[in-house]
Amino acid sequence: MTPPRRHRWRRAALNFLVVVALLVAASFLPPDTSLRDRRQAGVIKACVPPSYPPLVTGDPARPGFDIELLEAIASEIGLRLSVNTLTSIGSDFNPRNWMLTRAQCDIIAGGVADTEQTRGFLQTIPTPAQTGWMAVSRTGELPERGGTVAVLPGTAGLDRVKLSTWVRANGWTARGTPSPGQFQAALDDPNLGAGIAERFVIDSLHLENENFKRFWLPEQDFPRYRMALGLWKGDQTLKRAVADALDRVSKSGVLASIEKRYDLAAPPEQ
Amino acid sequence: MNRAITLFRGVYGVWLREITRATRDRSQMIGGISRPLIWLLVLGVGLNPYFRGEVFGEVKYVIPFTYLQFLFPAVIVLNIMYTSIQFAVSVIWDREFGFLREVLVSPMPRSLILLGKVLGGSTVAMIHGGLVLILARFADVTLGIDQMAMALGLMFALSFGLTCFGVVLASRVRSFEGFGVFSNTVILPLYFTSSSIFPLDPTLSRTQTATAYPEWLVFMVQINPITYAVDALRGTIIGFNQFPPYYGPAVIFAMAAVFFVWALIGFRRQ
Repeated sequence: MTPPRRHRWRRAALNFLVVVALLVAASFLPPDTSLRDRRQAGVIKACVPPSYPPLVTGDPARPGFDIELLEAIASEIGLRLSVNTLTSIGSDFNPRNWMLTRAQCDIIAGGVADTEQTRGFLQTIPTPAQTGWMAVSRTGELPERGGTVAVLPGTAGLDRVKLSTWVRANGWTARGTPSPGQFQAALDDPNLGAGIAERFVIDSLHLENENFKRFWLPEQDFPRYRMALGLWKGDQTLKRAVADALDRVSKSGVLASIEKRYDLAAPPEQ
Repeated sequence: MNRAITLFRGVYGVWLREITRATRDRSQMIGGISRPLIWLLVLGVGLNPYFRGEVFGEVKYVIPFTYLQFLFPAVIVLNIMYTSIQFAVSVIWDREFGFLREVLVSPMPRSLILLGKVLGGSTVAMIHGGLVLILARFADVTLGIDQMAMALGLMFALSFGLTCFGVVLASRVRSFEGFGVFSNTVILPLYFTSSSIFPLDPTLSRTQTATAYPEWLVFMVQINPITYAVDALRGTIIGFNQFPPYYGPAVIFAMAAVFFVWALIGFRRQ
């Protein structure tokens, strides 16, 4: 009688282990040169708009949440941060006309929402800042059917098409406003029922001082999104390094202190 | 009860034989890792510069993922397809060398013999598909346990259907050489026309899709069942569906049922 083979699975297990080890090793290969290029240059370039408070303020003493966060991240990676302030950002409805190129920036910050629309163009790394469509009115409510609402579509990457459909479905007339200043001016019109814009745009106008009440649009229609740092699609190694650095910044407590300094807490739901 | 246990042990025996044979076959293992390495590391990385962003708001394809992430689930399906359909070689082998005849004269019903063989082939194919998951880090794909479990479930069902399809092919092919040519003329066209390496942009209407791609190609993609298998895995792994999410699982389970019955009809004629 043949004695039972004690190690019948040894060869199979060995084959399998070799295969797994090879694939694990392959998974650590760098898929691109983006991080290596940045390390060679010693600089990481960020493009931001001139002002998008509190993410970018334009004040050197208090430059903004995104700027301070990027500085902490760059320092973690061992690079110098170079901030390119571009007036073209937000100047047009279509981001293509902002003409942001790889040559100008490695990261886009200061008003990038982590939406599917944004991720069509950029890889995103969410930050703690939360955004979404908010409304503002003196009554704290949206107008009756037939009313008029001021809309600032903004440039953060929130879904404008869905907002426009929703406004029409509720029977309101939308009055488009191209800039925060014009949005604020439109709110003075007594015939206007409410204004709708991205959360940080509304926050920056400090409308509560003029007896306006701000409130989120219904979450079932308009989910909240995190703001994000946007990196070029395909810059995988750089994205990984930035995400790891953000994680370390978060664990060290630096992120919480920056967050507290800029008071990023989202307004409560109504 | 005793008969049920005996039959179960018979199915287990046939299953175990397939597993043992596959895990000891180094050439199969090499095939299992060479495909993901070639498709993800070489093709994915090689084409990455052509799909990455250069100007904000302008990319070659507007899906909220990188090209590597988009390709990743398709490579899993490719690995499953090759392993499942190549499994038919084992059926031809068993037939040529007389093993199949010996098994078929046993008291076990043919449906259970086929079930044991197909389950064995499906398990091996699912493991080969699972090997690709090891490269998730490389493709920047993050998987939770629930996603992993769902993906493995879909992968097993797909493996089952395709293994049955392999048996159907084997029942019509009489030689190893003929099967090699036949399988490549089946696998590669099915893979390339499954929207595996190019997206049919879901933001476009059907008319616009047909404008972006010739209508005949769109039609071929839409009638290819592998399209929906790739879509199901994309939905599970990266959260991106080009078709309604229930299409994929429905097509996979329908394939499993139809091909099993078809394979059984062919197997009974052996």
